[in-house]
Amino acid sequence: MQNIEMIRMQLNHLVTQARYDIYMLSTLNDPSMKQQILQRLWETLSAIHFLSESLASQAMTNNHLSPSQQAIPAGMMNQTQIPPITPAPNTAQSNQRPFTLGELATFTGKNGRPAYVAVNGIVYDVTNNRAWAAATHFGLIAGKDYTQEFASCHTGQQSILATLPVVGRLV
Amino acid sequence: MEGQILPPENLTNEAIAERLTTTARKNLETGSIQKKNLIYLELNGCSGNIISLLNGQNPDFEYTLNSMVHLRYSNSLMAAEGEQAIEQLLTAMDEEYILAVEGAVALKNNGLYNIIGSWKGEPLTGLQAAKMLGEKASHILAVGACATHGGVSAAKPNPTQSVGLQEVLPDKSIIKLPGCPVHPDWFLGTLAHLLLYGEPETDNLNRPLMFYSTLIHDRCPRRPFFDRGIFAEKLSDKTCLFKLGCRGPVTRVDCPTRQWNGHVNWPIGANTPCIGCASFGFPDAMAPFISYDTTRVVKDE
Repeated sequence: MQNIEMIRMQLNHLVTQARYDIYMLSTLNDPSMKQQILQRLWETLSAIHFLSESLASQAMTNNHLSPSQQAIPAGMMNQTQIPPITPAPNTAQSNQRPFTLGELATFTGKNGRPAYVAVNGIVYDVTNNRAWAAATHFGLIAGKDYTQEFASCHTGQQSILATLPVVGRLV
Repeated sequence: MEGQILPPENLTNEAIAERLTTTARKNLETGSIQKKNLIYLELNGCSGNIISLLNGQNPDFEYTLNSMVHLRYSNSLMAAEGEQAIEQLLTAMDEEYILAVEGAVALKNNGLYNIIGSWKGEPLTGLQAAKMLGEKASHILAVGACATHGGVSAAKPNPTQSVGLQEVLPDKSIIKLPGCPVHPDWFLGTLAHLLLYGEPETDNLNRPLMFYSTLIHDRCPRRPFFDRGIFAEKLSDKTCLFKLGCRGPVTRVDCPTRQWNGHVNWPIGANTPCIGCASFGFPDAMAPFISYDTTRVVKDE
């Protein structure tokens, strides 16, 4: 029940935000500000959609289960609602883990394994990187050294690498 | 009330496309802009783009044909056939025209793998037609994945040695509308823009910014599921399709808000991952389209 009360509060907050943004848009003349507010409005709507979907799925599980079973879905909810994806903290130890090419080749992102790739001797975790859906990226599969490929497509875009969690180095 | 818009003017994609084409229609009726000739050439492909175009609503296809442009040649839609059709194509070249090309250019055996007709008993290849018409056109639109970069026609092992239109017209400026097929609005909207204001603003890959500026991922209604790490395990699941191989995060186009088949639905709305058909490199670079044995469960490491 606590979950539902929290979702209701979040929904109310988001609706207030959306109302405020609509009011802002109707009075605004600056086109660059307009873009930002439209963007925020879009995100607010997406969040409302998400919360209403979780409410609906909770309501459905509650209807279908007997009271004694109701404790289970609450536990499952906690399991699935893991926090937003953030790069794992890079401890000095994990940064230094040595990988041979053969070891790296086992981290293909298949059958529950994480997806790792190497660039310039550093091994990065791309398991949850948005450009690596299903551990593949423009025909490349995880578990390999892509120093050449990175240089040919992303020259001067070191910022891409800076956002990836480092898991070790290639030896 | 001058300068005030209350309530806010409708900013949906349909409303914007409709405003664009209504303006084009008005200006054509008052004579402030002129109808232009359009040559629609179909080369090595599946004709999917012209079929998609028949779904056009803003404006509808009939209006496009009758009032917006003079359609001078189209493999699929014209009544003439054989040498008569090719004669019309050659006659159309005498005046100014916009050239729209769908399908890739087959290079193998000097283009003989794609013949679009015959002239005086000799076969006219797609390669010849693309070069000849491209050199003289006032504007060129590459319509669909095959025309923009080879697409499905150029997929491995590419037996016809197909390439995108730019390869055979390296010096021409070509507006590129990737997609497999192209959305009717992407083509008709670009055409309306050409008539009204000239070439639209494009990105560094020559795609019109008005359609190809945002990533599907950034406008995806399932984005909150991605941000919270809740992933679909099978096709019908309503959560984020990232772990099944969704290409929304690398594909730049407005599908989530524009939608297809008369603006009613789109792939992710129908619970299937984006396969990146509007990305350069589709289909080879976007494969595999669906994966089940992925990183959902992390046990060790």
